[in-house]
Amino acid sequence: MLRLAALRLPQIALTLALLSLAAWFAIGLMPGDPVSLALFSDPRLTPEDIARLRALHSLDQPMLERYLAWAGGVLRGEFGYSRLFAQPVPAVLWPALRSTLVLVGAAVALAAAAGVALGGLAALRPRAAPLVDAATLLAQAVPSFWLGILLIILFAVRLGWLPAGGAPEPGGSVLPFLVLPVATIAFGQMAAYARHAAAALTAELARPHITSARARGGSEARVLWRHALPNAAVPLLTLLALDAGGLVSGALVTETVFARPGMGKLLYDAVMGNDYNLALLALLLVALVTMLATLAADLAQRWLDPRLDA
Amino acid sequence: MARAVRRVARGLLLLLATSLPGAPPALARDSLTIGLSQYPANFHPNIENMAAKAYIEGFALRPVTAYDAEWKLACLGCERLPSLENGDAVLEQTPDGKAGIRITWRLRKDWTWGDGTPVTAEDMRFAWEAGRAFETGFGPAEFYRSAYEFLSDDPHSFTLRFDKVTFDYASLGQFQPLPARIERPRWEAGRANYRTRSAYETETTNPALWNGPYRVGAVQPGAGVTLERNAHWSGQAPAFDRIQVRTVENTAALEAQLLAGQLDMVAGELGLPLEQAIALQRRTGDRFRFDFVPGLTYEHIDLMLDNPALADRRVRQALLLAADRAQIVARLYEGRQEVAAGGVHPRDVMYDPDTPKYPFDPARAAKLLDEAGWRTGTDGIRRNAAGEKLSLEFMTTAGNRAREQVQQILAGMWRAVGVEARIRNEPPRVFFSETVSKRRFTGLAMFAWVSSPENVPRSTFHSEEIPRAERNWSGQNYTGYSNAEVDRLIEQIPVTLDAAKRRPLWFELQRRIAEDLPVLPLWHRSDAYVGPRWLEGVTPTGHQNYSSLWVTEWRAP
Amino acid sequence: MMTRLRLGLLLLALLALAALIAPLAAGWIGKDPFAPDLFARYAPPSPDHPLGADELGRDLLTRLLYGARISLGVGLATALAASVLGTALGVLAAWRGGWVDTVLMRLADGLLALPALPILVLLAAMDPARLGLPRGEAVTDMLRIVTILVLFGWVGVARLTRAGALTILASDYVRAARALGVTEARLLWRHVLPGLVAPVAVASALAVAGAILAESVLSFLGLGIQPPTPSWGNMLANAQEAVFAAPLAALWPGLAILLAIAGCSLVADGLSRP
Repeated sequence: MLRLAALRLPQIALTLALLSLAAWFAIGLMPGDPVSLALFSDPRLTPEDIARLRALHSLDQPMLERYLAWAGGVLRGEFGYSRLFAQPVPAVLWPALRSTLVLVGAAVALAAAAGVALGGLAALRPRAAPLVDAATLLAQAVPSFWLGILLIILFAVRLGWLPAGGAPEPGGSVLPFLVLPVATIAFGQMAAYARHAAAALTAELARPHITSARARGGSEARVLWRHALPNAAVPLLTLLALDAGGLVSGALVTETVFARPGMGKLLYDAVMGNDYNLALLALLLVALVTMLATLAADLAQRWLDPRLDA
Repeated sequence: MARAVRRVARGLLLLLATSLPGAPPALARDSLTIGLSQYPANFHPNIENMAAKAYIEGFALRPVTAYDAEWKLACLGCERLPSLENGDAVLEQTPDGKAGIRITWRLRKDWTWGDGTPVTAEDMRFAWEAGRAFETGFGPAEFYRSAYEFLSDDPHSFTLRFDKVTFDYASLGQFQPLPARIERPRWEAGRANYRTRSAYETETTNPALWNGPYRVGAVQPGAGVTLERNAHWSGQAPAFDRIQVRTVENTAALEAQLLAGQLDMVAGELGLPLEQAIALQRRTGDRFRFDFVPGLTYEHIDLMLDNPALADRRVRQALLLAADRAQIVARLYEGRQEVAAGGVHPRDVMYDPDTPKYPFDPARAAKLLDEAGWRTGTDGIRRNAAGEKLSLEFMTTAGNRAREQVQQILAGMWRAVGVEARIRNEPPRVFFSETVSKRRFTGLAMFAWVSSPENVPRSTFHSEEIPRAERNWSGQNYTGYSNAEVDRLIEQIPVTLDAAKRRPLWFELQRRIAEDLPVLPLWHRSDAYVGPRWLEGVTPTGHQNYSSLWVTEWRAP
Repeated sequence: MMTRLRLGLLLLALLALAALIAPLAAGWIGKDPFAPDLFARYAPPSPDHPLGADELGRDLLTRLLYGARISLGVGLATALAASVLGTALGVLAAWRGGWVDTVLMRLADGLLALPALPILVLLAAMDPARLGLPRGEAVTDMLRIVTILVLFGWVGVARLTRAGALTILASDYVRAARALGVTEARLLWRHVLPGLVAPVAVASALAVAGAILAESVLSFLGLGIQPPTPSWGNMLANAQEAVFAAPLAALWPGLAILLAIAGCSLVADGLSRP
């Protein structure tokens, strides 16, 4: 296992470096730099003003040169300022990352729990399987922006139980503000987990060691919990890890509907607003989270299933 | 297994139950929560121009002069408006012999920053110096270039000398005092980094930065700004101890938060789209107070005059005649906004009520197209003698559903007279910064201008303002319109100081543009102000000096 | 469980048929799905508009049928392209191993980590005429969306096929075949690929569903299929704005998406649980 980590970490570093270069050029090649945007909104800019602003944002330098300057800074630990928010990049990034990790973390935990529960139900009680199928189907087919607004209408507007979105007052409890967005993401994620859990558990339950455990008189729940689940968890873990990055950047839709500032929104605004320093670091952070999650899942798999460590 | 399910279910219930007490608190009238559809990216008042920033800082900063709800220039931070009559403005010659003007503004003596120190001429001097030093990176340098000398021998008055004379000389526009005591050392320590070093960005909640009825009390990045009463405000006291401005970008969610009681009101300046607000009013009856106020946001379609088909004035007129704008306004907006005759708003003092108008007349449109050599073909689309189809690319900002709706309706209306409008939309960033501002559209481009009262349309219609690569694409005459007489009028109007003499020039300018139609006018957008019944005194202005500047008039009896 | 497979295929076939007959159906009903009618905005279902009308008074039924062409087209094209590309690269990685394998798998990691948005905006900004594509046509939008979805979609298939191919390549009969002098190409074609058909088919069926959903999310962000062309996704996204005023406008495209995804899931289930 250590060997795997030792092998993989340099690969991750290299991927990040290549990714930053690719992202730099992707953003750079996008039409419209900050100055052209200012140009449209301010009629009084003269050709001299524009040249001056270009120099100020060092847009008159070649792209590769700007990249190298940026990369050098990052390696020295200087992350620069966000152009859009006029703040040091980490100051903008950390709160957003924390907010999104809380949201996504809670949602994934809930989705995994509900998914495994539903999958287990389908595996143990074949008669309940069509119901589980229907639930997962619905979860798969409802786009999150639509589910979010429906939940808001029901729980915030009609029933008035929960806030319709936004953030709590400073010092207020964050919990009520988390419920609906967490439910929105979790509902969509649950489908895949339930499907895989059902398949894996059905397969596990048919294996000899389960039959013998049952024969020894273990309760169904105990059999499932102690014997079937650990083995069935392997593919689930992979799935979870594969989703990690997509979930963090894909929280955009949920964050928009619930007016929650977070990574998804920040990344979108940074890319759209041509905020290189912020966009690049946010991208790399999301990439790092994903790759570390993949690595962690691989390690966990080997730990759960030592046969793989060949 | 069943037990596991039960455990999960119990956990969920617990989660729901504990959250109940956190539901929207009962509203106390000592605070007001406002929903806004945009978040201000930064807080420095003199750098960059952004509607959300202007709205929020309207509560916390006073400009020296501003246009009021009657669209008249008023003194907010000064004792009286300078004028030639009262002697505060004096015509003179610049050192290099040009016609210039010297203007003195007298600051209110009771105007202070939030820490109690008075706002003085030194604060104006610093703002002027920072603006003139171009490495500071203030956006538009035109004002600072023109104001070539700053004079002051009294802490409560200052004089600027300008190297050109315009009729709106008394207005200081966006030029606002900056707290020199705090900002000057930061600026001098590194002018190029001033933008990120400024206390407005690093310690936004410092009371000494704010000089309005409120100060910024707390900032939740991306989510909202809390404004607290400014203890040192000497003017009329505002009604609320605290105003919370919350950002909700998705307008369906904005509406939901209003309905759920999390927001008291939605700002008209940056709030619900008109159509959505009208539907909301229909459903909620008299739960909220609605004001639909025609504003200075001018929705229009720029025509690419380099396109041979559109270079023909008859085709441009036919397009407008074939567009039943009155019908769109009646059906989509229930008549809440007026069809525009041109860029000058009907409420503007210089508006000419006799500007040529183009009421819906498809027969005349068809006749004009026939005359221009475009005959109806077998497929219903007109063709010219060379057999080319009258097919135009019609672009706007992708994702703006209000515009996309209008666009599709217009395309249908034009189709009925044999003109094909092919829709191709782009994300705003691409559309504005490349396609429009570098004149890369080939047919029609629909978007809006936001202007101010009596705004001379130099950048949009003067032939020198056609964007070109060699001029770094500056200018906003995207259609490529060039007319010597219009150029002359645009140059003449600003330097004609007498309003009575200016008026005929304005009328002539409106008539000419309406006849030539380089731009198809649609309407001046109405803003929908949605507020609680108990709130009184909110007076929408309809222009860039937002209602928040007059927050001291807001009352909750 | 062949019934699931049959049911799923039947559902998808019906939807595909709906897509095919869209122009005919529009003719029968006598409705132009592109012609706005300002007097029929949000009209309720009636003999004139069997499912009602949308925000511009256009007939919802015909728009739904036309939308099927775009949504199913995007779904099928994405699934097909992602499966072919993913299988090819997955098998290549498993067969060659070594640095090819490492590079491909890290590329896959990197792609999974890369948010799709910047690339989407980049593609949205490209002038299709320069690539020889028609401007302002739905085909161009579809191509743009499919390109993006495939770019990120092949990864899952590749991981799947790589794992499957590794198992097969390590099996005794492959070793035996190699010992008998069977060429590598024939080996891959005759022994490895057939063993991958089932998992790839399952993944493809799910990819169709994913692509249909992804298109609706892109429409929500304003980066989807541009008007006036209807797709289920942009119909649903447009209805979101009017959710309070006309909640029913969202019902039909939502239902269509549900049916399509149900069809795909049934097919996938039928294939994976023989």
